[in-house]
Amino acid sequence: MKVQCELCPKMCLIGPGQSGECRVRINIDGVLRTVVYGYPCSINIDPIEKKPLFHFLPGTPILSIATVGCNLHCENCQNWEISQANPEDENISAYFCPPERLVLLTKSNNCPSLAYTYTDPIVYYEYTYDAANLARSAGIRNVLVTAGYINEEPWRKLLKYVDAVTLDLKGITEEFYRDVCSATLKPVQNALVVAKGSGVELEVSNLVIPTLNDKPEQIGELVRWVRANLGRDTPLHFLGFIPRYKMRHLPPTSLQTLEMARNVAMEEGMEFVYIGNVRSRDGQNTYCPDCKNLLIERSGFTILQNRLKEGRCPGCSKEIYGVWK
Amino acid sequence: MTRRKFIRKLIKAGSVIAFGASWLISKASPRKFIWAVRVKKYPGHLKPLRDISKQGKWSG
Repeated sequence: MKVQCELCPKMCLIGPGQSGECRVRINIDGVLRTVVYGYPCSINIDPIEKKPLFHFLPGTPILSIATVGCNLHCENCQNWEISQANPEDENISAYFCPPERLVLLTKSNNCPSLAYTYTDPIVYYEYTYDAANLARSAGIRNVLVTAGYINEEPWRKLLKYVDAVTLDLKGITEEFYRDVCSATLKPVQNALVVAKGSGVELEVSNLVIPTLNDKPEQIGELVRWVRANLGRDTPLHFLGFIPRYKMRHLPPTSLQTLEMARNVAMEEGMEFVYIGNVRSRDGQNTYCPDCKNLLIERSGFTILQNRLKEGRCPGCSKEIYGVWK
Repeated sequence: MTRRKFIRKLIKAGSVIAFGASWLISKASPRKFIWAVRVKKYPGHLKPLRDISKQGKWSG
């Protein structure tokens, strides 16, 4: 008997013994099963700025995990070796790490938060949900780094245990999502709006890919949507593309293009705009949107100085969007 | 065959057809899931937990 997975908008109809598009949710004897629950292929301690997450516990380490699999198949995927892998692949192995062990690891390594990242936590939903639930009860914060391609009901359910989300808005047209990511735009926009409305700390990233989504008018359209639907205080990260997977023929994104994107966003009134995957003079710093004082100075993933006082600008006392302690 | 017997047979045949049709429909339409059940054994290779303190090589 076929089963239908209603976790993500792909709504995969899965025959006996087959998996959904994500490769990790399988129909076994007419029951949907997840084969990656408790089996992350990657566990590392990263600086939280790497997610990227700039307005959430800056300067802290974050235990970061992923299993194999993804429900999208972006041709530009930066982590395709694990996101497009099958659990059975010879060259990919996994750790046995159920939620209880994950929480212990996070605690014993003095990480205040735990990130579900690298591939997409949507496809290891049950593992993410149980671990996030357990982590929260142990005083650990939960962070999702995701493409947000999930149906609303399971998304709302998961967000109850989540403290911060970095959501990758990959483009701003249905054509881009269809042609590059084998997905659709609307569910991602809905996930963004639901996340912001739920009260989690939300940051948006956008990978700027030469010739595909790097025109000032495309950037402007994306920024205007973010401003109108998520608010001008939502941190926005423009990330440089590195040629990988099926897009090795394209050049890396130049610093000039990323600075142009940042300028467009700031001219549209966005308050916190950053550039990533490149070194820049001030594209990683946080400034007060009112008095323009430097609040947090960064170099790459390193915090050089943090001048915030109780989450406020020391110059004009403006409250800065984020979770600071 | 009396009219009463004919109606009884008609009802019986109708209910058999209705039962069969509903059984077929229930078999043909997929069972729907959001929550997946975990498997007991990982289908791939497992490795021992090593030093996790270094930064991940993956983006994100």
